[in-house]
Amino acid sequence: MEMVTVVPRQRLEGLELLGGPTVPLHPPHRASLPLWLALLLKRQRRANILPPPWFHPTALTSILDIERNKTDQFSPPPPLPPPATGEATTSPPFLLSSTADAPDGALPYHWLELGEILLDAAPDDVVDPDTVRRLMRDLREIRMAKIRAGVVVLDGSGMVGLKGVGGMEVGEGRAFISGVVDGLRKIGTSREQALREREVEEGDDAYDPVENGDEMDL
Amino acid sequence: MGSYYDIDAILTDAQKVPCTFELEVPGLGYLDGNSGGDMKKGTRVELPLWLGEMLAVSRQLGTSPLVTLDLPTALSPRVINALKADPRTVDLRSLAPHFYDLGARILELFEEEEMVEVLSETFKKRAAEIADHAHNPRGALGESADFLRGLDETERQLFRAAHDSAKSMKSWMGEMKK
Repeated sequence: MEMVTVVPRQRLEGLELLGGPTVPLHPPHRASLPLWLALLLKRQRRANILPPPWFHPTALTSILDIERNKTDQFSPPPPLPPPATGEATTSPPFLLSSTADAPDGALPYHWLELGEILLDAAPDDVVDPDTVRRLMRDLREIRMAKIRAGVVVLDGSGMVGLKGVGGMEVGEGRAFISGVVDGLRKIGTSREQALREREVEEGDDAYDPVENGDEMDL
Repeated sequence: MGSYYDIDAILTDAQKVPCTFELEVPGLGYLDGNSGGDMKKGTRVELPLWLGEMLAVSRQLGTSPLVTLDLPTALSPRVINALKADPRTVDLRSLAPHFYDLGARILELFEEEEMVEVLSETFKKRAAEIADHAHNPRGALGESADFLRGLDETERQLFRAAHDSAKSMKSWMGEMKK
């Protein structure tokens, strides 16, 4: 459940939702709402969505520069918050990464999904939507090209570094990457077998003295 | 991998490998187009992989094997050298429709350290190329058409997987626009 920041235009009492109560809306105070509710209010013209800071042309441009400069890795994910003191620990998909006070220099886990949804549902709230749309497309293409190029460094056991890759991108690349890994493993089966046999043999050699020692004791 | 009814595994096993008979077998001449005659010692015939493997491997202790296997032409040193030079230009499909599966099966029977390396490198390099083609269809024309026609069965599945992902992505994006 991604939370976004809205600027309400009308008052709304707090709602008791399955995901927890929402804050009461008092214009013009900002509030964080689940994305679906924000979209609903936006469609009814009862609120405006405040896009997250990373969804600004300048932020996206700087991220795109990072992607262009580092050809072998992705732009880093948003920094993790300091470890929570309570039992509530959160990791990327559950972090508040798309509210107005989210970090601005990094793409969060659901950047592609959220970006597309915002561009579609609330283009008038986004700063310079055409530029943002172009930047999003550039980012997507350059990152997908990296994922595809990553298979060249694969071996049957290892994995390309996917740090910073979003959920949608993982989903898009999954069928292809797992196919490549399967193929490589199939080709490498005989080598793996040989390695394992050698290990077993060496293992036997190493154990031999011990076994002999045991027999001596008996 | 390896289901009994896996059609790709069955087709792989049906690919021919050259075998040389080490013994004379009465009445087996029909394999060599000499019906009714005997199979002479030292005759080379192309047998399906499953049959050749059976005859070559399942021997009783102390007897010489019935046939000896050779590398199939699809995995001959000439092909391996071509793959080493440039994996992208080799038409794997004309060599063997199940090229990598055949390779994996052959590698179980032969000790070929180098071939494992070459096949893995080939697969990786061609996989990257396949992904590019699947995401940016440049039409069924020119160089890319030749490359795509030369894909073996494993690579075709890979192409389809990559292409389907891209297509689902596009349709999701398209739905958003509505």
